[in-house]
Amino acid sequence: MTGDGRRCWRDLDELLDTPDFREALGREFPAGAAELADGMTRRSFVRLLGASIALAGVGGCFERPRERILPYVSEPPESTPGVARHYATSMSLGGFTTGLLVESHVGRPTKIEGNPDHPASLGAAGVYEQASILQLYDPERARTARLGRAKASGSEVAALLSPARLGAAVGASGAGLGLLLEPSASPLSAEMLRRVRERYPAARVHFYSPLGSHASDRASLTAFGRPLLPQYDFRSADVVLALDADFLAGGPFSLRYARDFADRRRIAAPTDGMNRLYVIEPGVSVTGGTADHRLRVRAVEVESLASAVLAAVIRQSNRPGMPGRQGIPDSVASVLRGVEPPPRHREWIDAVARDLTAHAGRTIVVAGERQPARVHVLAHLLNAALGNAGRTLRYIESPITEAGASSHELGPLVEAMRGGAVRALVVLGANPAYTAPADLDFGAALRRVPTTVYHGLYQNETARACHAFLPSLHYLESWADGRAWDGTASLVQPLIAPLYGGKTEAELLGALLGDAEASAHELLQDLWRGRMTGTDFAGAWDEALQRGVIAGTAAPETTPTWQWDAIGSVLSRSPPPADSSLELVLEQDPSVYDGRFANNVWLQELPDPLTKLTWGNAALLSPATAARLRVATGDVVALAYRGRTLRVPAFLLPGHADESVSLRLGYGRGAGDETLAEGVGANAYRLLTSDMRMFGGGLAVSPALGDDGAPLRDRLASTQTHWRLEGRPVALRATLDEYRRDPAFTAPQRGRVLSLYEPSPGGGDQWAMVVDLATCTGCSACVVACQAENNIPVVGKQGVLDGREMHWLRIDRYFEGSAEDPAVLMQPMLCQHCEKAPCEYVCPVSATLHSPDGLNEMVYNRCIGTRFCSNNCPYKVRRFNWFDYNAEVAETERMAKNPDVTVRGRGVMEKCTFCVQRIREAQIAAGIEGAATGEVRTACQQACPTRAITFGSLNDPDSDLVRRRAEPRRYAALHELGTEPRVQYLAAITNPNPELPRGDGGE
Amino acid sequence: MPALFSRSSNRTIRLTLAAAAAALVGIPLALMAWVRTPAITGQRSAPPQPIPFDHRIHVTGLQIDCRYCHSTAERSAPAGIPATTVCVPCHSQVWRDGPVFAPVRHSLATGRPIPWQRVNSLPDFVFFNHAIHVRKGVGCETCHGRVDRMARVEQAAPLTMSWCLDCHRGPERYLRPVEQVTTMGWQPPGGQAALGRELVRRYHVSRLTNCSACHR
Repeated sequence: MTGDGRRCWRDLDELLDTPDFREALGREFPAGAAELADGMTRRSFVRLLGASIALAGVGGCFERPRERILPYVSEPPESTPGVARHYATSMSLGGFTTGLLVESHVGRPTKIEGNPDHPASLGAAGVYEQASILQLYDPERARTARLGRAKASGSEVAALLSPARLGAAVGASGAGLGLLLEPSASPLSAEMLRRVRERYPAARVHFYSPLGSHASDRASLTAFGRPLLPQYDFRSADVVLALDADFLAGGPFSLRYARDFADRRRIAAPTDGMNRLYVIEPGVSVTGGTADHRLRVRAVEVESLASAVLAAVIRQSNRPGMPGRQGIPDSVASVLRGVEPPPRHREWIDAVARDLTAHAGRTIVVAGERQPARVHVLAHLLNAALGNAGRTLRYIESPITEAGASSHELGPLVEAMRGGAVRALVVLGANPAYTAPADLDFGAALRRVPTTVYHGLYQNETARACHAFLPSLHYLESWADGRAWDGTASLVQPLIAPLYGGKTEAELLGALLGDAEASAHELLQDLWRGRMTGTDFAGAWDEALQRGVIAGTAAPETTPTWQWDAIGSVLSRSPPPADSSLELVLEQDPSVYDGRFANNVWLQELPDPLTKLTWGNAALLSPATAARLRVATGDVVALAYRGRTLRVPAFLLPGHADESVSLRLGYGRGAGDETLAEGVGANAYRLLTSDMRMFGGGLAVSPALGDDGAPLRDRLASTQTHWRLEGRPVALRATLDEYRRDPAFTAPQRGRVLSLYEPSPGGGDQWAMVVDLATCTGCSACVVACQAENNIPVVGKQGVLDGREMHWLRIDRYFEGSAEDPAVLMQPMLCQHCEKAPCEYVCPVSATLHSPDGLNEMVYNRCIGTRFCSNNCPYKVRRFNWFDYNAEVAETERMAKNPDVTVRGRGVMEKCTFCVQRIREAQIAAGIEGAATGEVRTACQQACPTRAITFGSLNDPDSDLVRRRAEPRRYAALHELGTEPRVQYLAAITNPNPELPRGDGGE
Repeated sequence: MPALFSRSSNRTIRLTLAAAAAALVGIPLALMAWVRTPAITGQRSAPPQPIPFDHRIHVTGLQIDCRYCHSTAERSAPAGIPATTVCVPCHSQVWRDGPVFAPVRHSLATGRPIPWQRVNSLPDFVFFNHAIHVRKGVGCETCHGRVDRMARVEQAAPLTMSWCLDCHRGPERYLRPVEQVTTMGWQPPGGQAALGRELVRRYHVSRLTNCSACHR
């Protein structure tokens, strides 16, 4: 029982109570936070310039400069200045789309939200989607086309691709033409590619993404003969087993899966049931942190454990009284007969198999994209053996164009390039010069192609290596389409006219076909005119644009035909020898994805959910392995793997599997126009090999030495040690059994506290928030939502190191239990809007005050920056503008600012306002109508995929907020201080298997 | 030994000390008073406009309602500055070719907006919403003055926070029936006191003096 929460810790120093930790604990900011970035100290600077600053202040008292008002020449009927509009569009990532609603202020998109009507979103938006708005306004985006070294017009480059010019180079059949695209499910792209293939039948068309679905497609082809995509229904699953699968974050359908999964964990009363999640994985993923039981093993061991689970399930299903083996033939079952789990995991595997068998038909087994095809086959078999197909999962044809086909391999194309068979290569969107496996040496192959054209948002590594460059349009400037993971098609409509010109992918393919002036809008309408059901195309088109989905396009369920022979032969092939060497695991980055968002400062500064690292990656390893290798956090290590070496700082991650090192992709970007991304972190693609295995043994780790022979150290900008809460009971958790035995276990942490201060008045709207720790996964969508909504600046790596990060909402990640195998607990921490707020009592200028509707208001124009309030805040949620961060923002990036929120200057304290601009907007709208205030949703609440955040008025008895606040597991953080916060938490509830040692590491 | 200082120096020192004390209080007070003068607040300033648009002709002479041009005053935060095309229906008939109308013709021909000079400017940390004020019975005239008598629009009010709060603390002193919001020179029948209290009740007007009502 951890109802007191006192065993939680946030980093290893804290667990060990080292002197460094004690020193840092006593400080609000790290030493030097108040110093300027360059050598001069803040105080000496002020001394020197005191007089001139005083005089400069007087200048501000004179009359303000006159502003101009520029009205429309002809006002568009749909636009009302001052009233934001939302348009539906969709964004593709990893080939699949997510439906979005984009907030637009007089033609200027400012914020991206999820589309409630879209199956992949249901109203939520992930970090990538939300931060993509900054990419639109990135001042380093390519502005002009280029031919050789000279600037060129787009039409000049497009002319290069015209059949007349290109045909001469590549032959009439296109034998010398190569096209390299990213995997996509877009019907328009598929149609354009079909036409290109018709025009150039011998052209080589290839798709490449380092994070593509290579293994799962291969597994489907083996098991079913077709590239089928499993569609899980987590709402009907009682038990879930994830085999190195991070299905709750970062994947193409994660927002939806997280929502469905959380719906079964959100228990309103102790009597409610909840699902149980088992995770087998090497690193610690968001899904792993949410697990009830997490088995940390090296990635290579996942396969043998998966077959052991399957063998145990088949064994147990054979017993009388069990539901039967659900049609797995003896030929396959016999292969697994002798499979036994390794002795140290036997108890775990058997218990999981028993639990799965006991809930047969109501379970899901998910295999991770990183795992080889055999693991995916095993997952298919487990789902079949447990009778899940048709109940908790169904299969559809993969919507990805040419899924599973050989065109999804990069190797043959590079081979042809190197052999001189490719005379002209057009690269669309992907960045293969950076992301291609190092041993392919894509750059060298590219130099063998006489004509190379790159089409992308940035002049990146690949663009620099290509002869010609043509800027592409951001999706917020484009007409296009796409399909979601479940096949649902949606349109992409532009929110703004192209900022710099360029072409969409379909327009470029149109140029290849001879139509240099092809318009994506017309191509798209022509395509869908024949495909939209109903007679009235204009009406159907408008509806598709308005709703953001095209009705009735979800892929139909298909019944898989099992290829038992192929499965049998794959399984009987002896697995690779389980070597015990150190292994390297490469993974998708939760911030920069595959590196394409590396120039996005919101994402660079977004703390990693588990390590809380910003601005860079690190070699993550377990404390035991680090001790064996004599490595500490911050030591630069040289990773030698398959003949290549990479230097990267080490980071000790509690809960990581021993003898395994994980490294995130997407950092260490090379020379290009993306100057913010350049050189941040280490390029893990240098260790990726052309078999596309994301992990493998044989890694050697040694300390990296500088020129002087001394070990190198690097400073990692991790926020996990900032804003500590001194070991007080802040994050509470109990198991389901404990909760049922003692529903009131949080009672000591809630209720009124005796106080001399006056109680707050209670009439009208009284805003409050409830955060459910049982469903918070730590995915950080709320952090980006808050940043976008509230114009929160970024401070850079040095700023984070100095503790100057500005996020109003942070997610505290607590470990609980041992350093080797702790449980993880996530807690969003924001201004608690205390009814008796300690900050308010100490402000000398009354810049922070209480509003009658229960908000702790921050008045920027009064604030003089004493920082007393931050000092007196027990939750450490106030942020100070040490510098004028917004002064450095580029002209285009200013367009992303929310016009309803003040852009703060230097020397001002700021913090969560409960999205007061949304509250006041709703109140004004209600006042105009003469009605009661309608629903107000904060930005964090809106983005949350699991609906862990509930917001509303305490005086609205029908609200979700009041219902959720009445739950017995409610508590107030630091209740004993008597601050009476308006933000209250629902203690995390886990559902461990009683047969197993406790999942919180407390064994 | 003669005194180092003459007797009169006592008086000088006393006077100096008194002057210093007065300056300590007086200079800040003077500065505070100074920033409230029209020179700083911009009250009664009337910047030159690209077109000598005369509200007297349009409001008093032609009886055009404020909302014909300032069309979003009832539904959005800004009251709205008319698009160039709003001028066209009338001015394609009258006053079409004069030199004063050149900026309008230029705007229509080039598609570029007419660069009006802002008259009533609030700091960026103030979020004022016209719609809610209009719907609660704050007359245009209450803040913008007798626009119907202005040849060139001037800033009628000081637009200081204390000026805002004057009404926010006692709205009954200024409210008028919603139907009369755009009427210039409206006088409350039977006196403001009784009517104001009645309007506050009828329109559910609250005394909003918390900071985040305007600062967000």
